[in-house]
Amino acid sequence: MKYLIIGNSAAGINAADAIRTLDKKGAVTIVSNEEFPAYGRPLISYFLSGKVKAENMNYRDDNFYSSRNIELFLNTEAEKVDAVNKKVTLKGGKKLDYDKLLIASGSSPFVPPIKNLKSQKNVFTFLTYKDSIKLKETIKKDSKVIIAGAGLIGLKAAEGLYGQAAKITVIDLADRVMSSVLDKTAADIIENHIKEKGIEIIHGVSIEEVEGKEKINKVKFSNGDVCGCDILIIAIGVRPNIKLAVDAGIKTARAIIVDEYMQTSRKDVYAAGDCVESLDMLSNENKVLALWPNASAQGETAGFNMTGKMRKAPASFAMNAISFFGMQLISAGIVNGGENSSFCDARAGKLRRLNIANDNLIGFVLINDNQRAGIYTALINDRTKLSCLEYDIKQKDIGLNIYPKETRKGKAWGRI
Amino acid sequence: MKKVYAFESRCLGCGLCEVYCRTAHSKSKDIVKAHKKENITSSIVIEEILQPKAKTYFALQCRHCASPKCVRACIAGAMYKDENGIVRNDKEKCVGCLSCILVCPYGAVKKNKDGKAVSKCDLCINYGSQLCVKNCPNEALKLLTEEEAEDLV
Repeated sequence: MKYLIIGNSAAGINAADAIRTLDKKGAVTIVSNEEFPAYGRPLISYFLSGKVKAENMNYRDDNFYSSRNIELFLNTEAEKVDAVNKKVTLKGGKKLDYDKLLIASGSSPFVPPIKNLKSQKNVFTFLTYKDSIKLKETIKKDSKVIIAGAGLIGLKAAEGLYGQAAKITVIDLADRVMSSVLDKTAADIIENHIKEKGIEIIHGVSIEEVEGKEKINKVKFSNGDVCGCDILIIAIGVRPNIKLAVDAGIKTARAIIVDEYMQTSRKDVYAAGDCVESLDMLSNENKVLALWPNASAQGETAGFNMTGKMRKAPASFAMNAISFFGMQLISAGIVNGGENSSFCDARAGKLRRLNIANDNLIGFVLINDNQRAGIYTALINDRTKLSCLEYDIKQKDIGLNIYPKETRKGKAWGRI
Repeated sequence: MKKVYAFESRCLGCGLCEVYCRTAHSKSKDIVKAHKKENITSSIVIEEILQPKAKTYFALQCRHCASPKCVRACIAGAMYKDENGIVRNDKEKCVGCLSCILVCPYGAVKKNKDGKAVSKCDLCINYGSQLCVKNCPNEALKLLTEEEAEDLV
């Protein structure tokens, strides 16, 4: 059996691991267009700040590939998938046969059309280790940095650069930071905390044009303001990498369409991670949930099923755990909606917001209040009826003692 | 594999397991030094249950899941399941993002007091014996295989 995996991050690695657990003999090959063995992608901001050194960027131990007999092609672009003859063509023309293929090609930064942006040398995106290394090499104490996008990636880039530049300005069209993940109350707490560090955040503007030859020196915003700039980081969002799948005749919408076994519309071709759409159990719609835990779980499921098992991927919904300058944020599910109960201590920078609908917990936001958050996540995941619990989750810190006796015993022993 | 099982009917909520957990995970391995000089977060959560006439307790720790959500969620590759099935956290690699806390359905992972990493039960792999089990005064913690535990249900 020949297993071929395109992509070497969370989905690809967990798939390879799952395959090797079940099939010790088959040939497993991973093709990556990056130059590094798998690394913790979200760590790139920690690398930028210096908090994580190069030797700790590895996602798995050094002998991960060799000990599992996995062949790895780095710096190698997969250019074409032929799902009829079961071949993948690599850049340069080399062809690899497969019996089972996984497309885990991830996503790419979206760079909007901006006047005069093309061929400027000091424009960066922030999604890969290489992006982070290049930024780290370029940044100078007197650099004026503009970051377009106050989402997770833009703000983590700002945190990573903090203290290494003269000025950092983050702009966003939305009225708040992390608008796709946070409600206004939570966003304001995070934003104020970041601003206290001296990072400027401007809302309601986008970049209209940039000035400079080969190197940007000024950026003009949509409100007419002009701002000096030495480094521009575009962090507006990501788009799933679906070209390979589209060209191979695999069904796609915004991303690759898969069933709950992670199979695409073509036989023996699976897909997982940021390049697929999956069912969001809370909205019951297909969504691109470009999240590390989701990619790992989907990759693992795909890997199992590629060896002939039939296992469904776990239910998915949005979830994030992230920190900015020591302020911890954990959120999951629907953050705007349902009846909400908020406990907010803005001075201590604390927030606990629980969103409840039809006797179910459907989402939560916790800031600097993260004890045992996974029990809330489990209540969402299991669609637990809140009225069947021992106390009101709005009134007390969460614990396994919320469950009735039999369930509690089962949980305490890890039996359920 | 064997892991630590908590018995609610026997637990007094005394907290000795936490004391010994911190000792086992200290550098000095000395109960006094561990508490006076080392800032260690125990890997145990003592839960209190309010009953009509009294309180009961149990001391929860990592269940070392067969398919651990914390390992899949970890962004740093710090959380892993070792060859013996023990779910462990490499503190050198852990960045304290708390993704594991977000997904653990038992609430069995704790943020370290210093905020730099998380703490969870590693079955005292580096100490050699499970100090919480040894020192529980009322046998409310037992080291059992899953089969042995099933027989007691």
